[in-house]
Amino acid sequence: MMKKEFVSVVKVGVLAVLVMCLLFVQSCKKSEPKDSTEGTGQQGGEVTKNSGGTIAPPAEKLVPLDIKLPRAMFVGTPKPARVPNLEKPLGKDRPPFLVPPGVTNISFGKPVTSTDPEPIIGDIEMITDGDKEAADGSYVEFGPMKQSVTLDLGAEYEIYAILFWHYHKEGLVYFDVVVQVADDPDFITNVNTLFNNDDDNSSGLGKGDDMHYVETNEGKLVDAKGVKGRYVRLHSNGNNANEYNHYIEVEVFGRAVK
Amino acid sequence: MKWAQKCYVLVLVVTIAGIAFRLPGLAKRPMHGDEAVHAYKFGELLEGNTYRYDPDEYHGPSLAYFTLIPARLSGIDKYKDLTEFTVRIVPVFFAVLLVLMSLLLVDGLGRFAVIIAALLTAISPAFVFYSRYYIQEMLLVCFTFGVIGCGYRYFRSRKILWAISSGIFLGLMHATKETCIIAYGSMLSALILVLILQPKQEFISNIKKTMKTRHLIAAMVSAIIVSAMFYSSFFTNPGGVWDSIRTYLVYFHRAGQNQLHIHRWYYYLKMLIYSQYYDGPIWSEAIIVVLAVFGFAAAMTRKSIADVNSGLLRFIAFYTVIMTVVYSVIPYKTPWCMLGFLHGMILLGGAGVWVIIKSVSNVWVRGLIQLVLAAGAVHLGWQAYLANYIYYADSRNPYVYAHPTNDVFTMVQRVDEISAAHREGHNMHIEVICPGGDYWPLPWYLRRYDSVGWLNEVDENTPAAPVIIASASVEPALLRKLYQLPPPGERNLYVPLFDTKSWLRPDVELRGYITKELWDSCQQQISTRNEK
Repeated sequence: MMKKEFVSVVKVGVLAVLVMCLLFVQSCKKSEPKDSTEGTGQQGGEVTKNSGGTIAPPAEKLVPLDIKLPRAMFVGTPKPARVPNLEKPLGKDRPPFLVPPGVTNISFGKPVTSTDPEPIIGDIEMITDGDKEAADGSYVEFGPMKQSVTLDLGAEYEIYAILFWHYHKEGLVYFDVVVQVADDPDFITNVNTLFNNDDDNSSGLGKGDDMHYVETNEGKLVDAKGVKGRYVRLHSNGNNANEYNHYIEVEVFGRAVK
Repeated sequence: MKWAQKCYVLVLVVTIAGIAFRLPGLAKRPMHGDEAVHAYKFGELLEGNTYRYDPDEYHGPSLAYFTLIPARLSGIDKYKDLTEFTVRIVPVFFAVLLVLMSLLLVDGLGRFAVIIAALLTAISPAFVFYSRYYIQEMLLVCFTFGVIGCGYRYFRSRKILWAISSGIFLGLMHATKETCIIAYGSMLSALILVLILQPKQEFISNIKKTMKTRHLIAAMVSAIIVSAMFYSSFFTNPGGVWDSIRTYLVYFHRAGQNQLHIHRWYYYLKMLIYSQYYDGPIWSEAIIVVLAVFGFAAAMTRKSIADVNSGLLRFIAFYTVIMTVVYSVIPYKTPWCMLGFLHGMILLGGAGVWVIIKSVSNVWVRGLIQLVLAAGAVHLGWQAYLANYIYYADSRNPYVYAHPTNDVFTMVQRVDEISAAHREGHNMHIEVICPGGDYWPLPWYLRRYDSVGWLNEVDENTPAAPVIIASASVEPALLRKLYQLPPPGERNLYVPLFDTKSWLRPDVELRGYITKELWDSCQQQISTRNEK
């Protein structure tokens, strides 16, 4: 190639590159993120229609159930008890439970009655006093064999969850745990059984399919499915270590009936 | 080895490099919404053996029909059995073919320029990225180049077979994507400009010599037959042919309406020359643009360069400039649309390198230029690697556009875990609720589930599914469905399905919900499995 011709190619080429540089000098600043709320880069493709964009905060949303857990009293996974139909340990924290706004603990300070009016250890009021620790002085021990406690919520509520701790200082398994809700203190009207792990109907409340579980500081949470009721009753029938029944705390989460 | 043989061997080596860049980990990047939509459309063809062209959506039918080949070869006849490999191998194939087809211009651009063009096509980050993308663009670029390559071969040989081949590629272009008309217009304008710029006597004789009438007719008939075959779903839906014309009304209208993809005129050029997002790497294919400028300058300033057909070079130069200008002027822009003119730039770039190398006689200067060009090629290859294997779904990658995040994989994995614990397995009822149908590509990833409700809004007339995936914006309506409408005692407690916030795309959050009962059951299975 002739030198002259090469020079002309270079001249035109360099000139074009310079023009392009000048044109783009404005736009060569560091780019805004494509996925910013002002950007359009991440909002849908070429084919998908109306593929949305920035989501406005929802007006009312599902909220995690406000549960304050007590301190764990033993570290690690509890030793597996020789109990049939026993839940496996999660190996991680329980997920938050989503409930409608306005669902709170409606059992705090509410009156409690029991089939054993004179507990061996502790006072019956401790079951709804908000103290969920497993230390001495925080739990109530009832007599052996079948026992139950009944909470009077004082009015009818929509109940979404019932959370209770029998005794979580050790990894115990309580037997024949049955949780019921009813409209009357005698549990005759509108009785709903929400949980039942009595696998041989020894409590006389019917055979239940729910699994046995190991007590931990997370307590046992039962889905109440928004059932309406005023009275909550929890049955038990000793545990895998002894015949006694224990309660540290019972929390009922719900909201007033609209 | 002779230089001609070397050329073929080198193009073959470059082609293998192109395959190596494109083939690994085709399932690695989440499917884009558009890819998933196309795969779904292909599923209809695969299972029902029917395809009806929709003038409102989805572009041309060629992608779906060509995907039948890998599907049949893999023995797949159900949509749910498809894999990312089965569908993405189609654009990979046409991308590799595009590299190989550079040889069509070996005596037009010169061997050296063709090797460089093949190399740049093989390693350009944009080309590699969208070669692994189940959309029409790579097919369109390949077919467009087929027209140019076969057209050039026809002008060299005047053999009717090349005219027919050119016509077939023209038809395939039309059967691929509506934007083919931009390439048609650009090619025609470029051809006219090349003829006009020739001296008057040459112009008249060239017009006469350009194409024999019967060859022109043969090419046109081939194009029409191929296009009609695809659009009529192989003669089962004649209305599809008319729809392929009518579609332009839809697309012209949409181009001005859809604000989501409106970008400034320099959008493509800026993306090619320089882009950086957040703290991500600087991306640049400026070397291709700069070399193309030199190729363009050579085409405009010289009558002939050794080994280079000046008419062809000018044609490519005009074609590239017209394509670049038209695509830049159209406000509706998506990054893959630039591949058409980027390939023109690559062809010009090949010639540009040849011109630069040829023009320098000093050995040291030539060596230095070659070193710089080699470094540029390595840089392109490195970026191609980053774009496809490191930043493949990262919005700091300029080619990642409206792309789902890797959270999609986590979401689907979670649903799989849950279904394994559900008594109905893949028949488990799932609701996916996203306004405007903004749930793609989830239908692809949940294609093995038979009972998925794809909803734009919360349906209060059906029972709530045990597993729900929904846009954050529908949560208030969902709350009403879960906790207000069911009678007391039937309001299942739900827990979050996903452990962390999950994003379909940046800024588009999806929330998952699962009944506590199912969560407990699933967790028991996982714990039992872990114990074993």
